[in-house]
Amino acid sequence: MIDIHTVKKLIEKDGIVFLAYGGFLSQTLIAGMTEALEKEATESALGMNESTNIFTIFIELAQNMMNYSKSKNEQASSNKSEGLILVGKRPKQKHYYVLSQNIITLDDKEKISPKLSELVLMNKEMIKQRYRELRKSGSEAHFKGGGIGFYEIAKRSDKLTYEFEQISEKRYYFRIKAIIKTQGKVLL
Amino acid sequence: MNNLKFEATQYTPEISLETYGEINIKGKSYPENTFEFYMPILQWLRTYFTEPNAPHSLTVNVEITYFNSSSSKLFFDFFDILDANKENFNITVNWIFDQENDSAKEAGEDFIEDFVDLTIHLIAK
Repeated sequence: MIDIHTVKKLIEKDGIVFLAYGGFLSQTLIAGMTEALEKEATESALGMNESTNIFTIFIELAQNMMNYSKSKNEQASSNKSEGLILVGKRPKQKHYYVLSQNIITLDDKEKISPKLSELVLMNKEMIKQRYRELRKSGSEAHFKGGGIGFYEIAKRSDKLTYEFEQISEKRYYFRIKAIIKTQGKVLL
Repeated sequence: MNNLKFEATQYTPEISLETYGEINIKGKSYPENTFEFYMPILQWLRTYFTEPNAPHSLTVNVEITYFNSSSSKLFFDFFDILDANKENFNITVNWIFDQENDSAKEAGEDFIEDFVDLTIHLIAK
């Protein structure tokens, strides 16, 4: 489990943090945090494109965590909507980022891993095209979401990185970081 | 068939469905269960197209600031129902967006490309 010291170090290392949350997620909480982000965006005079990209990526990752996070304990079958999510800014690098960590099962890892390894190699146009194909076919649609969430995140970020860290035989930490560059100052 | 109205919440848009032939959707959209939330709206739309007394024209005004991917899928399904009824009804969609909001504009452009035979106007404000 990530301790407060690690979080603090991460915050110091990774620039100004708008929002950091570790714990159980609910829809009401996500809506409250999104409102806090909206306030931050207004106060930092963020452009509309950067803000809506940040909000959308944040919502996608937070709702993912809410729906798919598992307990560290392999015997526990129920979902544990728990995880860590950060939204921050690195002024020198002229970018914003959204970072999340949660626990997933081996099965989920095997589902998302090929999707993500393909996604990070695709350019924006390819991602947008695939997003529309999947939305149209509906083949990726499932009960809790459109199944196109990672494509939505990739569409709206300038760089996407992720990693899996094994905890036990069938449990993994899943970390994903989306970078959103400041418009106009850095070329895409 | 009755008018339907949904007030906006922190995470769902304001929606009004008017039997005289107008639909208005305005706000943000990231419900917890998107499918469940939009089901009555899709159902109302299907009923409208089978109602013998429904006006033969329908105007849809959509103004969404930001939305999650499952809402995007549901908007697609919504447009799909419009598309299936375009022969018998005079359907106009106004996709309204803030001129500084590129992704809202792009979402509208994507729907125009996906539904080439539907009348979708992009309106920047």
